Amino acid sequence: MATFSLTINNEAHQVDVSPETPLLWVLRDELNLTGTKFGCGKAQCGACTVHLNGNAVRSCSLPVSAAAKGKITTIEGLPKNASSPLQQAWIELDVPQCGYCQVGQLMSATALLAKKPNPTDADIDSAMSGNLCRCGTYTRIRKAIKLAAQKGGKS
Amino acid sequence: MKTTTENLGIEIGSTSKGELNRRDFLKMSGLAGAGLVISIGLFDPRTAKGAIAPEVFEPSAYLKIGNDGKIIIMSKNPEIGQGVKTSMPQIIAEELEVDWKQIEVIQAPLDNKLGDQFAGGSTAIKQNFTELRKAGAAAKEMLIEAASRKWKVPLNQCYASEGFVLRKNTDEKLSYAELADDAAKLNVRENPKLKEKKDYKIIGKPLAGVDNEKIVTGTAEFGLDARPKGMVVASVERCPVFGGKIKKVDDTETLKIPGVEKVILLEATTNPTRMVAGVAVIAKNTWTAMKGRKALKIEWDFQGGEIESDENLKKQLEQNINTKGEVLRDDGNVDEAFAKAAKVMEAIYEAPFLAHAPMEPMNYIADVRADGVDVWGPTQVPGSVRQLATIITGLPADKIKVRMTRVGGGFGRRLMADYAYEAITISKAIGKPVQVVWTREDDMQHDFYRPSGMFKMKGAVDQNNKLIAWKINASTTSRYAFRGASDPAYKTEVFPDGFPAGFIPNFRMEYLPTQSKVPRGAWRAPGHNITAWLDQSFIDEMAALAGKDPVAFRLEILGEEDKEMPYSDHGGPVYSTKRLKNVIMLTAEKSNWNQPAPKGMYRGFAAHFMFGAYVAEVVTLSMPSPEAIKLEKVVCVCDCGIVINQSGAMNQLEGGIIDGLSATLNGAIHIEGGKAKEGNFDDYRLLRMKDAPNIEVHLVDSEEGPEGLGEMSLPPVSAALCNAIFAATGKRIRKLPINLSSKPTT
Repeated sequence: MATFSLTINNEAHQVDVSPETPLLWVLRDELNLTGTKFGCGKAQCGACTVHLNGNAVRSCSLPVSAAAKGKITTIEGLPKNASSPLQQAWIELDVPQCGYCQVGQLMSATALLAKKPNPTDADIDSAMSGNLCRCGTYTRIRKAIKLAAQKGGKS
Repeated sequence: MKTTTENLGIEIGSTSKGELNRRDFLKMSGLAGAGLVISIGLFDPRTAKGAIAPEVFEPSAYLKIGNDGKIIIMSKNPEIGQGVKTSMPQIIAEELEVDWKQIEVIQAPLDNKLGDQFAGGSTAIKQNFTELRKAGAAAKEMLIEAASRKWKVPLNQCYASEGFVLRKNTDEKLSYAELADDAAKLNVRENPKLKEKKDYKIIGKPLAGVDNEKIVTGTAEFGLDARPKGMVVASVERCPVFGGKIKKVDDTETLKIPGVEKVILLEATTNPTRMVAGVAVIAKNTWTAMKGRKALKIEWDFQGGEIESDENLKKQLEQNINTKGEVLRDDGNVDEAFAKAAKVMEAIYEAPFLAHAPMEPMNYIADVRADGVDVWGPTQVPGSVRQLATIITGLPADKIKVRMTRVGGGFGRRLMADYAYEAITISKAIGKPVQVVWTREDDMQHDFYRPSGMFKMKGAVDQNNKLIAWKINASTTSRYAFRGASDPAYKTEVFPDGFPAGFIPNFRMEYLPTQSKVPRGAWRAPGHNITAWLDQSFIDEMAALAGKDPVAFRLEILGEEDKEMPYSDHGGPVYSTKRLKNVIMLTAEKSNWNQPAPKGMYRGFAAHFMFGAYVAEVVTLSMPSPEAIKLEKVVCVCDCGIVINQSGAMNQLEGGIIDGLSATLNGAIHIEGGKAKEGNFDDYRLLRMKDAPNIEVHLVDSEEGPEGLGEMSLPPVSAALCNAIFAATGKRIRKLPINLSSKPTT
């Protein structure tokens, strides 16, 4: 066990866990930030996507020791009233079905728009293909990203 | 206790035979200070068969109009992504005459007053449509009556609109909140007048999902997110070989890990539900439990299960399709027809096991105490979970509280309650609330897989190129055979009344089940997910044999005269050739089928009837290289009767298409040494964003009663895709998943 200081959604947290613990389980089990989802445990599905220093990363495969020095953003760090252009587009186009993967999808899309406010289809393919949606909402996700980009890009 | 096993393996599939007499009833009770509460009875045809204990299926729906201005609709069924948490309340709200914005939807727990609560067979909308409308309409009529008494004017001087009762030709109005307490004292309306479709304001609208805001802020509660006080986590190492037992466990290293609390052995059971033999590591959190599990040293007794393999199963399947099976249909004389036919074609089709792999891995929470049990988590069958809890604990059903969360995908996997059984068993053993958390590998290697199958098809045309004979010898690893169900093994595997049966003078269908230890269950569009591929691929082969256009060939077989074809499976008792032809023709029109495909584009067609709905689809693809497919576009036309939610309906159809394409291109669970070879999304690949085609969905504007939509677009897309590959390459795809040496490109 070791103590780690984490900066999550601009707040400081201290956790006492073994260093190899994936960030995902620190968020969910230690800090009760359950918005970030467990899907595969080996960075194959993207359900656990969070931002580390603005980059989309898979928290299920990121040891807490590697995240300790960075700035972490989770879905709980996005507007709680769902006011970001992406969150609004997701609601307006009624993207979710079961909804389980959508947190990860939004975190990947948010990182994309922060870097490329007007992404091409190829940009979307490349940023979003690490996020699986078992319900098959890909066409709506693509449309929602484009709608959010039109309406002012970054969240 | 075979019946119990069957009871708990809830299956919707094709067991209900059309409409039976309805036993609709309305009940009302006034709760002090709570305003008007209405619950309505819903008839479930399965209870007529005595298949399910009546207390679990005493059905109803629930609506609460508070005297505080709140209008709450309890959503009774599990929300697994099929949209019922929005669409079912929409139906009540329509008749209630309220502004949709006034409604708050709350997920109901399992409650006898609410009755039938499950997700399966795409049945929720179809079975509840009338009753939900009655619930809304009865409440509205009582609110109007309360107002008429208050004003002392005749009923016909009052009407309802947007949450108020208004008095004609005056400015007077009373809100539903003001009327709720008075309305609660009135007699219930048994047969309220229902609105006509032309007057609908809420039904048919594209309303966004009621939980969307929670979903995009990460606050929607899924099973895995529940955190009861004092909860510990269990991770279970299960016998990797199907049907094995524990021989010896050394947990020394596991118990040394800080945070590990206990190790529990789970013996394999098949009754009252199936539970795989396993060793459960209980720890203070998920990661520690998973870590503790890796440190176990276990010797298994495989019970001979290790000899099971794809190779052995293939031998059995081959033998079965070449042996005379149970004759399920025998029209005319196929042998004579083949003997005198102008052209005959024979082909063998083969489909693999599939995993469900919903995004939320299996998990369940149980808190077993001496005085009662609390359980919650993702399930399609909360009633089965309660039954299991009563059996395990010996407590009566009213001591079992079943809470429902959103469910991160179902696809049929969560019709089985094995993981809930584990949680209840473990909590009982340790006397604490416990959450059982499966890894993705657990999920893929201990699924109840879509049955695999092999099919010998033979068809013939005469000298006028008319289809005169069709013969199928089918064998599948039937899920009913696996479960030991009283229904015959072929049920929900093949459909003797499905198109083109009934249109070909000589038609014969034979079936033999193939035995296996591999667990099988219902996978989205059970049976149809193979038969539509089979029938709609082979009819394309027949069209090619006859030298005819695939769409024209199908329409020619269906004939000009409109018919109601007998259909004995789920979705029957008949299907309409008029509606089937209509979706075929509309799809041809919307996809410009009758114009040549653009250069470098190849198209395939398929149409299918299932569970009461009609779907036709065209897949368009290109081939960037001789062995690479790029999915360009899918056009889909669906006639599902009255559409409740335009947006939700289209989302379901789009999703089913992606799911079907994904399974056709990549889906397969392989069996080797008695285990599933695949374990995660790196070897069980799903379609990703870069591979997804454009999808264009059209819904037929229909006056017919509404049908479900969660499954129907999936089956035909496999055949449409394979037929498009034939158009591109001249090669028939008769074995799934598609094996071109490279898969879709970006």
